[in-house]
Amino acid sequence: MLRITGGKVYDPANGIDGVVKDISIADGRIVAAVDGGRVIDARGMIVFPGGVDIHTHVAGAALNFARAMTPENHRQATAFLHTPERRAGLGGQTPTTFATGYLYAGMGYTTVVEAAVPILSAKHTHEELRDTPIVDKGCCVLMANNEIVLDLLEAGEIERAKEVVAWLIWAAKGYGVKAVNPGGVTAWKWGKDAKTLSEPVVGYSNVTPAKIIASLAHIVDQLGLPHPLHLHCNNLGVPGNVATTLETMKVLEGNRAHMAHLQFHSYGGADWHTMRSEAAAIAEYFNAHPNLTCDAGAILFGNAVTITADGPWQHLLHQLTGKKWGNLDVENETGCGIVPYTYKGSNLVNAVQWAVGLELLLLIDDPWRVFLTTDHPNGACFWRYPEIIHLLMHADVRRERVKKLPAKAQSRTTLGDLDREYSLLDIATITSAGPARALGLANKGRLGIGADADLAIYNEKPDGELLFRYPRYVIKGGEIVVEEGEIRKMSEGREFIVQPTYDGAIEEYLRPLFQQYYTMSFENYPVELERLEGADVRQLDGHG
Amino acid sequence: MGGKVTCTLGEIKNRADFIVYWGGNPAECHPRHFTKYTLTQKGKFVPNGRKDRTMVLVDIRETPSARAADIFLQIKPGKDFEILTTLRALVKGHRVNEASVAETGLSIEQLRDLADRMKQARFGVIFFGMGLSMTRGKHMNSAAVLMLAAELNAFTKFVTMPMRGHGNVTGSDMVMRWSTGYPFGVSLCRGYPRFNPGEFSTVDLLVRGDVDAALVLGADPGATMPQPGIDHLARIPTIVLDPKVTHTSRLARVHITTAATGISAPGTVYRMDEIPLPLRPALVSPYPTDEEVIRRIREAVAKKPAWAQRPAAMAPTN
Ligand SMILES: [Zn+2]
Repeated sequence: MLRITGGKVYDPANGIDGVVKDISIADGRIVAAVDGGRVIDARGMIVFPGGVDIHTHVAGAALNFARAMTPENHRQATAFLHTPERRAGLGGQTPTTFATGYLYAGMGYTTVVEAAVPILSAKHTHEELRDTPIVDKGCCVLMANNEIVLDLLEAGEIERAKEVVAWLIWAAKGYGVKAVNPGGVTAWKWGKDAKTLSEPVVGYSNVTPAKIIASLAHIVDQLGLPHPLHLHCNNLGVPGNVATTLETMKVLEGNRAHMAHLQFHSYGGADWHTMRSEAAAIAEYFNAHPNLTCDAGAILFGNAVTITADGPWQHLLHQLTGKKWGNLDVENETGCGIVPYTYKGSNLVNAVQWAVGLELLLLIDDPWRVFLTTDHPNGACFWRYPEIIHLLMHADVRRERVKKLPAKAQSRTTLGDLDREYSLLDIATITSAGPARALGLANKGRLGIGADADLAIYNEKPDGELLFRYPRYVIKGGEIVVEEGEIRKMSEGREFIVQPTYDGAIEEYLRPLFQQYYTMSFENYPVELERLEGADVRQLDGHG
Repeated sequence: MGGKVTCTLGEIKNRADFIVYWGGNPAECHPRHFTKYTLTQKGKFVPNGRKDRTMVLVDIRETPSARAADIFLQIKPGKDFEILTTLRALVKGHRVNEASVAETGLSIEQLRDLADRMKQARFGVIFFGMGLSMTRGKHMNSAAVLMLAAELNAFTKFVTMPMRGHGNVTGSDMVMRWSTGYPFGVSLCRGYPRFNPGEFSTVDLLVRGDVDAALVLGADPGATMPQPGIDHLARIPTIVLDPKVTHTSRLARVHITTAATGISAPGTVYRMDEIPLPLRPALVSPYPTDEEVIRRIREAVAKKPAWAQRPAAMAPTN
């Protein structure tokens, strides 16, 4: 039992905006009152629901590939020393699993979603998530280049495709469905890409990226998944991709969708020299279409490691930068590419990218539909979120930074003209309440009775970049996990998974295809439920 | 430069029409590689199986794998790096010094032909073995083959994969990476992971006599290490966990017999392409699993008072 008294509470889900009130906790949940137990005196502090990261890359084959590729980064990383309570590890661009849990919790985040999981190696992803302490977790499973699904779309068998998607989600022990560069990754298996939405994907005659996007969004809604289709659009990172992104959002009309790392998809211009921000055009469309949510995918200047299932983009980035290139194509399903990268304030393209991320956060007017992410570790590391929060809250600081950009870059963005400043309530919304709602996690991101007791408590002053960097207390599932900046308790998180309804007969359809196309037997493919620690299974009855 | 352009084995099965084995003898060392993944399987985009594929073997001697190859290229020992570098130049259309090519054991025509075939492949792959990665040039040879495959992607689809084997070496590599950031050669002596192959690798530590106890799990260094390393293992308290008697268990102070993983103990093994497979035991063993033994040792150690002072919570190194 625990009581937090005297803190200013910010709870957007309940419309509570800086009201001093007590919060009582028992059995991991928020309750009306408790009798006895520890009391935290939170006078002079602000109380937030624990942070929810809707899109990050913290576990699995691609990230582990990146760790192996960048030992030179680890040498500069924050070292976590082994103690009786805590495992050793390294922070940095691609933190080790234990350090990932400590770093998220140490910043006040208590739930994270690993956004790109190939089913073939999902066992590996879950092993890593099991070794990621404190935070609760979930996975989005890669589907938009799954050739069994694409073959069914080619044949017009949408009903069977729906059964297959349902079966695959459960096989991977996933929570949501992710689409990355629909059709483009499968084309990359022949060294090609999918640059337009309406042309057939390489190797197909009836399947276009538009068809993949519309079909998957429809299937996800039909299955009643709590989180809509999680979409990484075609043409990521390319000047002029605003047209593709707008066209994609039109394809999604009538369905829900979450647009991942929208910053990377909001560029105008014809080439790298003429690249400019089109955040305003994207935000205008987005504001008028409540079926959509998005995360920013903001970038910050400094070192990053880009990791994405978007293989063709990574080959291009390698050719542009001459940096190391890792590529891992996954049979029948997906691929991934890895290129270390440094974002420089003096570089025109990087400067525009930096501005676009902030512009989107400021121009999309409903904080319940745009969430704070950096597409970690692509745009910046997740532990740099407090720097972005500071910029969102202070227009004068932004203007000073804009003035330091190359003159050409300043003319390609309107960031300096934007006066909006985020309030603390807005910050609580984009870091917690909003992403929790978009994920369909009813007990996260709020501080009402019955909610999971996940809280972050910060000093109200000083108001600066440091404000959100060092919480005074972090409470996860009712336990104090961080106190005075130190990890106090290494608790294990839960893993959220969904079990959609499907007809068992679909296995008889899939089994021979496996024998033909895979190198693993059908029985070995699904992730065993026992492999997960703290699995929190939600049965879905949605079936059309 | 660095990195690796690779794929899972099913991509080879479904797509590869041009397959190179370099410095390895899969017919004897990975006997199911040809039939499960690379040569004889009919794949989605190579429907005629073996007929749709060309196999090249590059090695210093004619091993039984040569019989499976369409083209066998016998090279002089220790010339892998020169050949790979020449191939990289030929692929890009650069001029090469024909006199130095003569020393490699291959003619410039053979190398041109190989470079052309690589560029004309629809989907090519190079599997490389310890004959490349552990001979003269070592990691420079590996880097050269990785670069060659990466650069071929300017012309066609091309990947590469090391032929790893023996036990669950890839699985160990994976777990080390996610828990310490590094694949091997990790020291935790300062309380956090540090990496320096040559300094912290097992073989170097043993040969230098730097360690004063050893726990050996899933390996038989007594059979493969240089003699000074083996001598040191015999000198210090060495504990071996193994289902059977090994060279190392014979010189160890303690040998704990454990259940054989995959036969009577469950677990997960990672294939050479880093894909995990569950192991389902077929038999019951009277012996404990490796995991159980390690867990019990750990619990016993945890009961002892800490020998060192508790360090500060986080020590930023930058
Ligand atoms: Zn991402």
